[in-house]
Amino acid sequence: MTEVSAVVKPKPRPIIRIGLFLISHSLFVSIVCCIAGVLALLLLPVLAKNTYISENALMPGSASAMLSTDDASDGHVFVNKIMSISSMSINSGIEIPEMIAKHIIESGGEVNYHKFQPLSDSFHPLQFFVGPDAGMVQDNYSSTSYGVNTVGIVRAPRGDGKEAIIIVTPYNSVKPTTSEALSLGVAYSVFTLLSRVSWLAKDIIWLAADSRHGEHAAVAAWLRDYYTLSSGDLEHEVTSVKRDGVSNGFRRAGTMAAALVIKVADSSTGFEKDGLKIYAEASNGQMPNLDLINIVNYLAVHGQGLQVRVEKIWSLLDSWWLYSLGELQELIGKVAKSLNPGWKFGIPASDYVEGCTTLASSLYNQALGIPTGPHGAFRDYQVDAITLEFSPRFSSSQRVLFLLHVGRLVEGVIRSVNNLLEKFHQSFFLYLMTSPSRFVSVGTYMIAFALLIAPLPLVAAALFSDASKSKSPGESIPTSPAWNWLYTAKTVLIVHLWGAIVTIIPYFLRQFPDSSPLISLLTWIASSAVLLFFTRAASSSLPFSCASQLQTSEWTLLKAVTVAAAFIGLCLMSVINYATAEIGALLLVPMCLMAVPLRIDATAKTAKTVARGACNVLLVFVGFPPAAFLLSKGALSSFDGVRLDDFWNWIESLREWNSATYIYICMVHLPCWVLCIHILLHRR
Amino acid sequence: MATSFKFKPLTISILLLFLYNAIASSASGSSSTTMHTNNWAILVCTSRFWFNYRHMANTLSLYRTVKRLGIPDERIILMLADDMACNARNKYPAQVFNNENHLLNLYGDNVEVDYRGYEVTVENFLRILTGRHERAVPRSKRLLSDEGSHILLYMTGHGGDEFLKFQDSEELQSHDLADAVKQMKEKRRFKELLIMVDTCQAATLFSQLQSPGVLAIGSSKKGENSYSHHLDSDVGVSVVDRFTFYTLAFFESLNMYDNASLSSLFTSYNPNTLMSTAYYRTDLYQRRLEEVPVTNFFGSVMETIHTDSPYRAFSNRYYRKSKTEMPSDQSGGGNRRALKDLDILEELADPKLNVRPLQSTYLLVHEG
Repeated sequence: MTEVSAVVKPKPRPIIRIGLFLISHSLFVSIVCCIAGVLALLLLPVLAKNTYISENALMPGSASAMLSTDDASDGHVFVNKIMSISSMSINSGIEIPEMIAKHIIESGGEVNYHKFQPLSDSFHPLQFFVGPDAGMVQDNYSSTSYGVNTVGIVRAPRGDGKEAIIIVTPYNSVKPTTSEALSLGVAYSVFTLLSRVSWLAKDIIWLAADSRHGEHAAVAAWLRDYYTLSSGDLEHEVTSVKRDGVSNGFRRAGTMAAALVIKVADSSTGFEKDGLKIYAEASNGQMPNLDLINIVNYLAVHGQGLQVRVEKIWSLLDSWWLYSLGELQELIGKVAKSLNPGWKFGIPASDYVEGCTTLASSLYNQALGIPTGPHGAFRDYQVDAITLEFSPRFSSSQRVLFLLHVGRLVEGVIRSVNNLLEKFHQSFFLYLMTSPSRFVSVGTYMIAFALLIAPLPLVAAALFSDASKSKSPGESIPTSPAWNWLYTAKTVLIVHLWGAIVTIIPYFLRQFPDSSPLISLLTWIASSAVLLFFTRAASSSLPFSCASQLQTSEWTLLKAVTVAAAFIGLCLMSVINYATAEIGALLLVPMCLMAVPLRIDATAKTAKTVARGACNVLLVFVGFPPAAFLLSKGALSSFDGVRLDDFWNWIESLREWNSATYIYICMVHLPCWVLCIHILLHRR
Repeated sequence: MATSFKFKPLTISILLLFLYNAIASSASGSSSTTMHTNNWAILVCTSRFWFNYRHMANTLSLYRTVKRLGIPDERIILMLADDMACNARNKYPAQVFNNENHLLNLYGDNVEVDYRGYEVTVENFLRILTGRHERAVPRSKRLLSDEGSHILLYMTGHGGDEFLKFQDSEELQSHDLADAVKQMKEKRRFKELLIMVDTCQAATLFSQLQSPGVLAIGSSKKGENSYSHHLDSDVGVSVVDRFTFYTLAFFESLNMYDNASLSSLFTSYNPNTLMSTAYYRTDLYQRRLEEVPVTNFFGSVMETIHTDSPYRAFSNRYYRKSKTEMPSDQSGGGNRRALKDLDILEELADPKLNVRPLQSTYLLVHEG
């Protein structure tokens, strides 16, 4: 028995056999996977599910609104007062905070002013790993340029004081617009109501944020101080209550359960009735819990009859190809239904187009990693927050009615969050919206990404095995094929190191603040190119690299390692920010998979190789980050307004907001792009 | 310690004396022939959290009803897993309502909660049923029933197929319940037991019951949900469940002298208004439901025998009797049992007790 088994070669395990089969058919598999990945992405609006309230405790709408017309007209009086101060000629920016503070005290709340200076630009490239830097407290308010936030707090009469709900109303304290005054009026009418009710379990904080230095900066400064114990805190608590009841000490009210940023748009565009637009994207594509959006949407639609929207890319809305895709899937859905009435998929073509545009916007905003409003500052502290932007349909005559509706909505959301027992945790944090009431969860959208990047490890393995097989017998120095890849890996590593240096070049360029964006961009590109040249020269001159010179013909190994590096980079990025990884994979995967030295294509001169060469050139051109940016910008609006310095501004904003996308572009995408060019120009 | 227990109830209670001749017949062991002595109620709300307000309201409503129909507080064990009355979210502090008209505050005076908050656990619940407590547990937290007791066990909360959730952290399974009831039967802790459960798939909770004398009614069959009745938009929560609401509606028209039968209660449930099918299990129950008044479980109407003599005379007589019987008869253990039948620490060690129950003195506590 033992003799027989010793002779028969043991059969490899099924998983290994499947792997070997896939690797040997890697070309076919990668074509199928890539097409399936793109199709899955286009199918996401069809696969989207209706939202539902996942947390039992929320019970939105179960309590009737208590905000009365009197409260709304109080709010209206408040709005008028602000507007009268605003129209005064001399305004130092302290009158309105004082007026707000007075009203807060009158309604029975606690109040304090929070003075802040906007932080100077500082680049924290790894902030998404460590969270916001809480250690920086600036105490020297030197000039008059500081902003004044007014913070009002209602304590829950029988609550434990450990949790709080935040209402934020950003406004310009020097010259508030009518819509800013309206948002203050909404917050005021809700705040006075809440100071009277007996059902509060969480404290309410109203932050009237001074948006002179930007909405986000004001909120971020307050949050930074809220979460930092500054040196003056302890004595301020006791001593610094002035005679008018306004404290200079920093008032706090427990951990934040949720935050609502209330804004009023200047004009209602595209809404048939009073509209509400929800912004949710925070830094690095982080989203608040879906339940928060759900309760706002539920209460706005069913309670107050508002028209709710999330952002969409308008220019995609009337694109013919999207519409025909929508009609195609509708047709397939109908055919499937006629075959089996149990099969229900396919949505109307117009819904599909709407879903696609919303999904694209959702994907783009998450990929950018720049918060779409002041709510982004809260997400940095893991507080669920959204911005509600109301668009009144009536300009001025029916303001009280508008205040009533919006105030009741805000009250309802607060009452619902007030019922919460723990942090938001039941519903999704990882999702894309396709409409205010439909979403695609992480389990669904990861399929598209997984299909897209699945060919990468297969192709890398196939190329590696090819390279080790096709070793010519007349090799001058016989080296072990298993170690050949190390030399190419060194090249790839050096290029990635170069990418890291490219990442920090703009920091030095900022030392010359006078240069125009275009010059900065060109300097950046030129210095990167020079640096690349030098690193390449330096690495090839190093003594231990002589062996790699012998292997330069082995472009397949180089491609294998490049593809593997791209795979690792994309996988890492998908953990940090899915949307960036998805968009990046759409560009990077075809480019890396197609790359073949142009010289080979040129010598063969068949139609297939010529087409492949042309494809390669096109993909590499599109894969260059500025080209990709400008092309997509041109495609979405028009090519007339596209200028090269837009890209610099875009990159600068990514950098300033500490977006992980910036690091992805410089340290994953750019090195892979350079390596692909390297493969294309390879000498055979 | 044990001796002091024997006499304390005498000082606080009106005594009813049932004297049977000591007939040494083993055939009388069946509980169907024992007299109905007293009524107990165990009312359990198993769920926490503000959004489960209605479960507390259900239980408190039942508490109020059985109290109104005559079960005294000391024979009601009320278990409330959370305190809605003092919840910060309650718009009406220290009040609990089961109707949006807010006419009746269920959490008024004289509500004795025996187990509250995190004391409401499966372990404590099973300990109450089986009577196996730790030494330090006061008598007010014990089910001091005897073999003539009628017990109403009402439970409400979130449940599923063969389980009822306790406190969002643990579950009572139908096996646990059946086992506890079986132990109760063996320990002669009840004569008849009505289990009433208002939860989803309540019927499944009864599937393992085997003990005779048990009647069970649940708000829904297997695969069905039980629903809340209405939302109080002022308080902002649902305030009562449908099954309990219609049970209460049935009892509101009754007083403790009414003779409405259990079958009239059971047939009063309309599946359309309940939105689920009330299920009752009668195969373990010997009597015909038409002949059993609801007050046998939900009230405490006892046959009372007026005695002129004050209890001192009675206890003398009692002692005399004990003294005379004890040496003469092996069944003297029965007397001892009767004396101590409220003492839960006592073990049923004497095997003769099992064959000779209830043929001696009984003390019926009836506190006004």
